[in-house]
Amino acid sequence: MTAFFTMILGSFTIPMRIGTDPASMLWLLPLSVSIAVVYKATKVHRVQLRSFAREAAVLFGSILIFILVAAVILYGIAWVVTEQLPGLLDKSAF
Amino acid sequence: MAQSAKENHVVFLISTGALAWLVPGGGHFILGEKRRAVIIFVAIVLTFLVGVYVGSVGVIDPVHARPWYFAQMMNSPLVMILGRVGATGNYRVYGRAGEIGQIYTSIAGLLNLLCVVNAIYMAHLRSVEKTEA
Repeated sequence: MTAFFTMILGSFTIPMRIGTDPASMLWLLPLSVSIAVVYKATKVHRVQLRSFAREAAVLFGSILIFILVAAVILYGIAWVVTEQLPGLLDKSAF
Repeated sequence: MAQSAKENHVVFLISTGALAWLVPGGGHFILGEKRRAVIIFVAIVLTFLVGVYVGSVGVIDPVHARPWYFAQMMNSPLVMILGRVGATGNYRVYGRAGEIGQIYTSIAGLLNLLCVVNAIYMAHLRSVEKTEA
């Protein structure tokens, strides 16, 4: 029993191996679920399982959509700055 | 009499806020909002534990990551104990795991701050309704 608890506690002392690849962005999802659930828990008038779950899911979906929209906009800006702008600046030099 | 009622009201609000800070969802629990309290407790504690598991207990660092530590402290004053462990234990924190751990534990703290404010507001509304009735 003590060994089991030591093993559990020990697992909290070593960081996980997470790469810096795009897949690491998926760690946003559980956090967004948590934010949606806690925010809705403070906002709904009465907590009833089905309606609460539906409202939290809608909020999670909205957060996800806004993250995707922000990602597309930032990708577009980065594409213009890195791919298009250098060419335009070269042509306008003379 | 009115002065005493006002003092009781302030003490009630402070104790609700303190309990909500001590245990996530505790403020809602003493207001009789048990389902709400359970949801808040599970969501905040789980988010915090995931953060500590991903980044190691070293993400709670009152010395080298002070601004994050203030947000993490909003989870509960008990985080101070973990902060002492993290600062003296030489636990490794690095890379993306460290970042994710810090973000998770800090967001959990800020969510609990929202719940503390909400519990105090609900307590205020309850006692105002009680005095009006």
